[in-house]
Amino acid sequence: MELTDADLITRVLVDDDQHAFGELVKRHQSAVRGLLRQLTRTDVALADDLAQETFLRAYKHIRSFRGEARFSTWLYRIAYNCFREDARRRKELVGINEEQWQAEQDPQTADPALRHDLMQALNLLPLHERTAVILCCQNGLSHDEAARVLEIPLGTVKTNVLRGREKLKRTLAAWAPN
Amino acid sequence: MGAELITMNEMEQEDWLDRRLREAAPYIDDAGFTTRVLRSLPPPRPKREWLRFMLLLTMSILASALAYVVGAGKFVSASVMQITALPILWIFAIALGAGILVTAGGLFAAIRTRELQF
Repeated sequence: MELTDADLITRVLVDDDQHAFGELVKRHQSAVRGLLRQLTRTDVALADDLAQETFLRAYKHIRSFRGEARFSTWLYRIAYNCFREDARRRKELVGINEEQWQAEQDPQTADPALRHDLMQALNLLPLHERTAVILCCQNGLSHDEAARVLEIPLGTVKTNVLRGREKLKRTLAAWAPN
Repeated sequence: MGAELITMNEMEQEDWLDRRLREAAPYIDDAGFTTRVLRSLPPPRPKREWLRFMLLLTMSILASALAYVVGAGKFVSASVMQITALPILWIFAIALGAGILVTAGGLFAAIRTRELQF
């Protein structure tokens, strides 16, 4: 009989069962590490460090998970916060530097060969659009769930997804079906 | 008609993009990641089994003492008298029934524990 995430969380809460938590890690590690690899632009080592930090925080604060959202959504939120804090520490991307980075990485001026690769096309998107597209289109979160993860208004998520998709479609136009 | 064709084309493109995005995110093999995470966790809280045991024992002793004082101990001798008055076959049946009940409870608990193990 397959235990649900809720069963496993209950075992962690009641018995402090680390095996149950290990099962939760096994179930969600791929999605969390995948998200962080995309956010860190395929820096695998950094992404895995952040993923480890994500699960460690999840374990320490599992009592604050109220079950209102999916466990995976809660994990994405922690993962995104870990990434954001790390980016701040490294004085990268977020805030003022985002515009500068965007200008440097403008799809119009980037190497045309990169446009045919979806992953790299994603990397060309500004952070807020890339994150929204990854969460909604790749990881299947609803706009509402993504808004909770990113702690931004629902309308902003919708706009970011729409703009991100439009840019991806433009970048990958040669690959698109007729 | 033209507008419908454009909408259909846009929808196909949306599906294509979503499909491509999902395909671009393959399953990442665990490769020891879970073990690393489990090693980094703080040690589990010590289980206070002894506290639970002591609480149960204390409560049982207190409850028995209270019952003895209130009933002046008569309920013990009365119960023993009632049991000895029963036919031997009845005593055997009660003992057997109690045994089966306890065994069934133990088996159920064992199966449930095994189900929860990974």
